[in-house]
Amino acid sequence: MTVGESLPDARHPLPGDRSESSSSGNGHRASGNAFLVVIAETWRRNVVNVAFIVYVVLIGLIAVGSGSFSGSGSAMQPLLVLLTLIIGCRIIGPEFSSGTLQLILAKPINRSTYLLSRVAGTLVSVWTALLFVAVCNLIGRAISDRPLRVETLLLTMLNIMADTLLVVALLALFGSLTRSYLNVAIYVVLLVGCNAGQGVFGMLRMARPAIAKTLSFIPKILVFIDDNLFAGAPIDHFDRDFLLLAASNALIALAAACFAFRRREVPYGAD
Amino acid sequence: MSGVEVRGLRKSFRKHEVLKGIDLDIAPGEVVGLIGPNGAGKTTLMSCLLGYLHPNGGTITIDGRANDDLDIRRRTGFVPERMNFDRGVNGRAFLRYMARLAEISRDDVDARVDAMMTRLGIAHAAQKKLSTYSRGMLQRVGMCQALIHEPKFLFLDEPTSGLDPNGVLLVRDLINEQKERGAAVLLNSHQLAEVEKVCDRVLFLSGGVISHRETLRSDVSIPIAITLLAGTYDEASIAEIAGTAPRDNIVITVVTKEDEIADLVRRIVASGAGVIGVRRHTTDLENIFRGGK
Repeated sequence: MTVGESLPDARHPLPGDRSESSSSGNGHRASGNAFLVVIAETWRRNVVNVAFIVYVVLIGLIAVGSGSFSGSGSAMQPLLVLLTLIIGCRIIGPEFSSGTLQLILAKPINRSTYLLSRVAGTLVSVWTALLFVAVCNLIGRAISDRPLRVETLLLTMLNIMADTLLVVALLALFGSLTRSYLNVAIYVVLLVGCNAGQGVFGMLRMARPAIAKTLSFIPKILVFIDDNLFAGAPIDHFDRDFLLLAASNALIALAAACFAFRRREVPYGAD
Repeated sequence: MSGVEVRGLRKSFRKHEVLKGIDLDIAPGEVVGLIGPNGAGKTTLMSCLLGYLHPNGGTITIDGRANDDLDIRRRTGFVPERMNFDRGVNGRAFLRYMARLAEISRDDVDARVDAMMTRLGIAHAAQKKLSTYSRGMLQRVGMCQALIHEPKFLFLDEPTSGLDPNGVLLVRDLINEQKERGAAVLLNSHQLAEVEKVCDRVLFLSGGVISHRETLRSDVSIPIAITLLAGTYDEASIAEIAGTAPRDNIVITVVTKEDEIADLVRRIVASGAGVIGVRRHTTDLENIFRGGK
């Protein structure tokens, strides 16, 4: 028995020119299929992961118990951002180190399509968890007879969706430039560093005003990074500026990630 | 042109030039072996061919198109040396994913994955996680994902690494099947005996250049070695008949058809020489390898 004899026909109609740089309609159709395949696989692998399930169920229980999903001081948003960091850190960098990326890039999928589909798959996973937590919160409120305006709940969900979009886009950008889990390390260092740096600079300003004046551009840079990358979503009200900031910065990060990833060399057996 | 064509390929890492102008052709239905010492640039060459690395100079075309063209990738299969992919999924799920990315339709994918796993002898482990697979089993998974869409261009990096003798024989059969199917195959291997058995041509890569090219099998020439009985022949007569003089009682020559072998032997015997044996002459890759080192 040969492979050729034993297997169903692998030939399909040639979809025309589908080069990496092609922008033909057929090319988009083929890339579109791969896009959906990667999204579905990313989502499937996340939602069948035991750690993911346990974590989401725990947040769900907290939402039922506290009923504070959309109230002030809610713990839901940071817990969901943490979930985003945990599953979003697997984009590109770790795949490069494990060798999975090289196998995938030998398939007919262009790099930008792959990167964006991984981002989309991760977001769908996080938003699935978000939906589950929101339902848990509604159940909790129903049980404890506490009313909740649907509009408030939807706005909170929208804010969290925008926040997680920005987090995943940043992880994709850092992952497209680095190996292994350095993407999440860079994210955390930036997050902590911006706040700590501003604190340190405040002390420097008191102790050594002359040096602080010379280095006055540093806190401006730290504040700029902090404001743009880690703005933090409002809890339960519509904030157009935040939504625009998160969406535009996410788009910029994704465009930069695609640009870097298309040019990146991915030798196999590198690690 | 159809097949793989590489001209003047150069690749450097910082100031270290790893590939110094590689020319390479692989025709459809041809298996070309790539051998050379560690650090010779074999993996770098393979990475350039697959579009993982960007060359500093030269051209790579496959079927007349750029190697990163998606239509070419659709017809390309690749087996890396080390199978380090995501170990958290089971073998079947992994291959389904690879098959779907290779654009095998949803209707066909299960049948093809099952057929390939059966062919490669890993059907019994289909539902087990890849983390529980032995190195040889992972190598078989690697072959599965590379062959599942019946590629026209196949790049194999140490495909028999970690395989037991049965696995080695299986890979040999698979490579021969791909050749018969008309696929162009590049085989990077340190297993010289395997290279000898399956390759039509061998390229010896050393110091970033192809220092030696050897044809092992050809449709237009058959190298043969005729062993003569010492003291029974006249060197000049044999040289006139066979085109080359005997060395150590062995005449190595080339014929274009198998029919010519009997005729050549008949003429040698007619000259009074005793013929002890006639065999197909194969190149001693080990000697080339040692010489190249």
